[in-house]
Amino acid sequence: MSSKKGGLYILWEYKLPYLFLLPSVILLIFFLAAPLVSGIYMSFQKISLRGISEFVGFRNYRLLLGEGRFRNNLLFSVLYVAGNVGLSVPLAYAAALLITGKLRGIQFFRAIFLIPFIVTPVVSAILFRSMVNPSFGPITALLEMITGKHYIILADSTLAMLTIIGHSFWRSFSFIMLFLAAGIATIPTELYEAGKVDGAGAWARFSHITFPLTKIHLTIVLLIITMWTLQDAETVYALTGGGPGYSTEVTAVRLFKDAFINFNLSYGATIGVFLLMMSAVFMVFYFKLMGGAEHY
Amino acid sequence: MKVKDTISWIGFLLISVFVLFPLFWGIRTSFSPRYETSLIPSRLTLEHYQSLFVRPAFLLYFKNSLIVTLGAVALTLPLALLGAYALARFNFPGKQFGILLLVFPLLPLIAILVPLVSYMYKLGVYDSFMALILVNSVFNAPFALWMLRNFILNTPVEIEEAALLDGCSRIGALCRIALPLMLPGMIAVIVFVFITTWNNYLYAAALTSSMSVRVLPQALLSFIGTWGMYWEGLCAAGILTLIPPLVLFLFFQKWFIAGLFAQWSR
Repeated sequence: MSSKKGGLYILWEYKLPYLFLLPSVILLIFFLAAPLVSGIYMSFQKISLRGISEFVGFRNYRLLLGEGRFRNNLLFSVLYVAGNVGLSVPLAYAAALLITGKLRGIQFFRAIFLIPFIVTPVVSAILFRSMVNPSFGPITALLEMITGKHYIILADSTLAMLTIIGHSFWRSFSFIMLFLAAGIATIPTELYEAGKVDGAGAWARFSHITFPLTKIHLTIVLLIITMWTLQDAETVYALTGGGPGYSTEVTAVRLFKDAFINFNLSYGATIGVFLLMMSAVFMVFYFKLMGGAEHY
Repeated sequence: MKVKDTISWIGFLLISVFVLFPLFWGIRTSFSPRYETSLIPSRLTLEHYQSLFVRPAFLLYFKNSLIVTLGAVALTLPLALLGAYALARFNFPGKQFGILLLVFPLLPLIAILVPLVSYMYKLGVYDSFMALILVNSVFNAPFALWMLRNFILNTPVEIEEAALLDGCSRIGALCRIALPLMLPGMIAVIVFVFITTWNNYLYAAALTSSMSVRVLPQALLSFIGTWGMYWEGLCAAGILTLIPPLVLFLFFQKWFIAGLFAQWSR
């Protein structure tokens, strides 16, 4: 074939994959890699609204870390991530073990379960806000029925934090469950049969077969959910605006408010670098975990 | 086994109630008279939906969302098709960097939004549909590309090879043989890009400022500001916003779910 079409064709054939990938790569370099570099550069500058910038070294970092509010932003991010991951991953894992039986109707239920994942985040935030509204929200009513006290949920800093965690839990629970169920389904049934023959009970089969073989799926889903929760600005902003006070103002919300409402571009860029560093820490941590899983 | 099945069914039902309750609440509230307190309203009303449609602005925002979303789908699909085909069907130095496509979607893209806005400003597209279409396409392309790559890996290469031997060019083989086989993957990508773009608030909030290019999630948040606690109207607007992605998802859920989970667990 190639002899018929000549040397030019071989060159064409050799270059084809690069040519096919070129548009994506150019766009990613221009709109992802380049902004990343200039974002880091901007974090060392003081940028005025008129666009005049001067180099100020680590001044933005020093100012931010010197703020009690910003240290709380970092803390609330960790709380928000830990709250959502700590609640959703164990429960979703238990639910995944439960639903991996060979039941009819799983197709239908799977679509239903995945609905929270595809619901517009701003819409689910509005639905949750209306569920905790003080005049007729069902969650407020339930809470008042149990405790006998009157509540304005989003005006209470602890309850507001629980609301944003609960909302993320609702959004991510079924995604995690289906992800882990897909992982569990890849385990060959012969392993369980062999386990039964060897007299392993349900717990032994779980701890020696299911858990080690799904450790990698657990690690990946932990990473996904951590990253999504860490960078989530829009649902928290739509639910509480970071309030009451600054008590639910996670780092991503602080970035959003500083950069796009108060137009403090230097702070926006600097908080972005902080978010990237936090992501890197989590990624390294989980990759270490995954490395441990491979040695198992 | 009987007992285990029963437990599973109870689990299914509990999870379904948990998942569907907020949606039920939203639909219920959007049809209720104002300040209705009981879970099942005594009478239903369409007044909140009517109040949305008498405002021309809501329809404008709906149209804007549709323009941005369809634009992003139209731009992402060819990018993903070409890239995915290259990654699935060719061996070439540098291919191993393809795994980066799974790392990009995890990065906190909000972190680079500030410099991106100043880029868009310099390009002269700040506050335009073009900016939103570009950003949504670029940020969704890695995920879409990887998703499609997995679908292509699952279609047999032999048919394409036969076409090549019969004197079909690479492009000819791609268009006439591979493309129809990729249809499920393409649909999964279309649904994925449609849903994520339609749902996005952040990029629109960062990259636009005028009302004429405002999209639905922005509009919903601004309604809270102007309407105060008019929950019935807010729920009605929210439910209407949900309909396009929800219908698309339920219609093509089989392929969408296959694309979504195959790509992570591979």
